[in-house]
Amino acid sequence: MDNPGVPERKILGFQLPPKVVWTKRTKADLRTGLLFLSPWLIGFFAFTLYPMLVSLYYSFTIYHSKRAPEWVGLENYLKLFSDQKFFISLNNTIYMVVIAVPLGLFASFLCALLLNLKVRGQAFYRVVYFLPSIVPTVAGTILFLWLLNPQVGLVNTLLARLGIDGPNWMADPNWAKPALILLGMWGMGGTIIIYLSGLQDVPTSLIEAAELDGANWFQRLWYITIPMVSPITLFNLITGMIGMFQYFAQAYVVGGGDNLGRPLNSTLFYSVYLYQNAFLFLKMGYASAMAWILFVIILCFTLLLLKVSDRFTYYAG
Amino acid sequence: MPGKAMDTDLAAPNKALKPIQLLRSLLGHGLIIFVGMFFAVPFLWMLLTAFKSDQDVFRSPPRWLPYDNVRVEVNGKKLPLYTVKTELGTLRQLAAIKIVEGVGTFVDPANPAEILTYKLQRGKERIAEPIMEVSFRWENFPDAMSRGSRPGVGASFWVYFRNSLIIAIFSIIGTLVSNTPVAYAFARLKFPGRDLLFVIILATMMLPFQVTMIPIYLFFNDFLGWGDSFLPLIIPTFFANAWDVFLLRQFFKTIPEEMCDAARVDGANEWQIFTRIVLPLSTPVLATITVFTFLWAWNDFTGPLLFLHSPRNFTMALGLQDFQGQKTIVWNQLMAAATVFTLPIVITFFFAQKTFIQGIKLTGSKE
Repeated sequence: MDNPGVPERKILGFQLPPKVVWTKRTKADLRTGLLFLSPWLIGFFAFTLYPMLVSLYYSFTIYHSKRAPEWVGLENYLKLFSDQKFFISLNNTIYMVVIAVPLGLFASFLCALLLNLKVRGQAFYRVVYFLPSIVPTVAGTILFLWLLNPQVGLVNTLLARLGIDGPNWMADPNWAKPALILLGMWGMGGTIIIYLSGLQDVPTSLIEAAELDGANWFQRLWYITIPMVSPITLFNLITGMIGMFQYFAQAYVVGGGDNLGRPLNSTLFYSVYLYQNAFLFLKMGYASAMAWILFVIILCFTLLLLKVSDRFTYYAG
Repeated sequence: MPGKAMDTDLAAPNKALKPIQLLRSLLGHGLIIFVGMFFAVPFLWMLLTAFKSDQDVFRSPPRWLPYDNVRVEVNGKKLPLYTVKTELGTLRQLAAIKIVEGVGTFVDPANPAEILTYKLQRGKERIAEPIMEVSFRWENFPDAMSRGSRPGVGASFWVYFRNSLIIAIFSIIGTLVSNTPVAYAFARLKFPGRDLLFVIILATMMLPFQVTMIPIYLFFNDFLGWGDSFLPLIIPTFFANAWDVFLLRQFFKTIPEEMCDAARVDGANEWQIFTRIVLPLSTPVLATITVFTFLWAWNDFTGPLLFLHSPRNFTMALGLQDFQGQKTIVWNQLMAAATVFTLPIVITFFFAQKTFIQGIKLTGSKE
């Protein structure tokens, strides 16, 4: 692109592409390009841009589905700030983002280390670790409701055999979220596989060099392996966080549909409360305001993670 | 003799290493298996529960393997066998004809004419204990599948299974048809505005579904009147999505440009290059997309929850949730249905293991 005839164009430090010279050729190229892109372009306007604008508009209205929306300005947003349930749901969600996501990543990394050991039968072990992650969410959640059944569940039975009086799990407000975290960790096979492929990409020459220099196992892990997989950690942290902010199906199944958030609102996550407002209470405007706040929170978290990670992430090459 | 000393020095650590290596390998296996229990046991528990009888499910404490009453044939009927303590204190193996309100009517299988009636409780002692044996109740599967989450509306898990399959198949078709040309344009065509559009499509990955959910729902449900049909779940897949476009574009970029240029020289247009050269070379990535779209559509819960209202249109995910939400939960049948729900994915995994793992590495786990 080093064309001395074309002056560089910049806005706020961002490099802009060189100005398009419209010829018959470029026009034809554009036509072909847009034709190929047309499925996405139509979809983008119909299922992304238009709904975004409409939901932004709804968020400033009172809208009870059947009646026309009524403009109320910032009322929905102000109401949210005095809505106790809103803060409960936000709090529950942040709990999962701050505890479940890093815990899941840490555990996945440890599992990947195990599956990267040079022992026989690894192919089989890898399948075992991976298989739960492809069990459909609803099936997995129901399975855990059964496993963690306070009276006849397998987990409490085994705990009782060890002399431990197991908790009521999904029926206890203090244990419902830890139970859901366990369920999430059971299905973390995908993340383990990603870490495993990252571990296999760490150059053996680096490890061997460190070994020659007398670095022990932990030093090699800390100074070589962990920095080498740090881009994977960042990627998983961001996708995990975005996913966790939208945590819904598992909580819906635990709530049994008509008892969302039980017990005592401990599983009332942000998306669950949003769904409740939109489709059960039919407060579409209020729910839209919640959706936009969620979007802003996700954006802020992502940018923050990217900013902070600059210092901790190592990109080879 | 320095030479000999050297030899033994070299040999010694080799010999000494062996027990250590063995120990390490044992420790490795031990750790992997110990942690592996966390993944394997719940999965096995789902399978084992699916094979249990109704009473056995609620047995406390539970046993690992499914047990069922031993049954014997008496006068052409299969009756459960019990150990009964008679008034004389002797133990007899009798088949139960019926047990009503604490009174059992038994028959001696060896002598079908002999009918005996016993109160099951004598003082504090239970006098009749069922004789159990390990037996897998395969009937749970057809029983679970032929019942619906709500009795009487004519919808069974077979119907849910079919609905899920229809939605998944059309989603796969839509995804393949719509994403490939878009990805080709981003990978191979040069036209003004392309890079800007690519940034926009990547940015849509960050947008939570909740933001667009309500207008999309109102558009399909109220405006088009497509509520309670599969269309709102299938139609959007025909309009491409960022994840699949990105995945396909990465692959298309690895196809040698020279092959396309050669075709161009021969007078082929872009559509011909796309359909006759690029697509046939892309079967691995198309397989990945197929598998992952199936997985996603099969697993999807929120979409069906929003749009499907009547039980005859439920998907497996929705039906299972509905079944679980009922007052009395039949855990063995619920686990049988959950197993059937999981089975197509597990089968796909074993047939296309490489495709699966490749897809996960490329896209990250879409959870």
